[in-house]
Amino acid sequence: MNEFAVAALVLLAGLVPCGVVCLRGDPLSRLVGLEMAGVVDILLLLLLARAYDRAIYYDVALALTLLSFAGGMVFARFLERWI
Amino acid sequence: MSLRDVVVAALLVVGVGVTLVSCLGVLAMRDAYDRLHFTSPATTIAPLAIAAAIVVEERLSAAGIKALLVALLLLVTNPVLTHATARAGRIRQFGEWTVQPGEQVKEGEP
Repeated sequence: MNEFAVAALVLLAGLVPCGVVCLRGDPLSRLVGLEMAGVVDILLLLLLARAYDRAIYYDVALALTLLSFAGGMVFARFLERWI
Repeated sequence: MSLRDVVVAALLVVGVGVTLVSCLGVLAMRDAYDRLHFTSPATTIAPLAIAAAIVVEERLSAAGIKALLVALLLLVTNPVLTHATARAGRIRQFGEWTVQPGEQVKEGEP
């Protein structure tokens, strides 16, 4: 277990506050919680890719970066008037 | 423990610490606009620190370049997302705002 795996394990605790924010409050606050959880996930995948030492795993983090951006934009667009 | 290990550990502590603190900030703030502020340290300092740790460890190999690419992509896309979210909140609160051609914009009106 190298230092990157330890850092990923510690970073996992950051998902708990994001989940709590997602579970209560107004819709906009929940969206912010979701975006924050996406960022934490991206950093976790980066750390895990280094911990497992496979160059191909970095592509997962790259894809999640693009997809969480697109997903956040779609949610923001719908929250403007329809939901 | 070489100097490189110390640098990597310090960068990882900075990245993980900043992310955890901004997660707690998102939880503690009162409304969505206050919460939005706390997503930015987690998308600027933290990815750059973690990518720098990976580059120090791996040099500029395929892995290091991809990690830097993820950090730069987060740096570019997240301000756009934050702006879109805040704009969505404003439109929910006050409705769509439009200015007709030739119309004067009044100060202090939403």
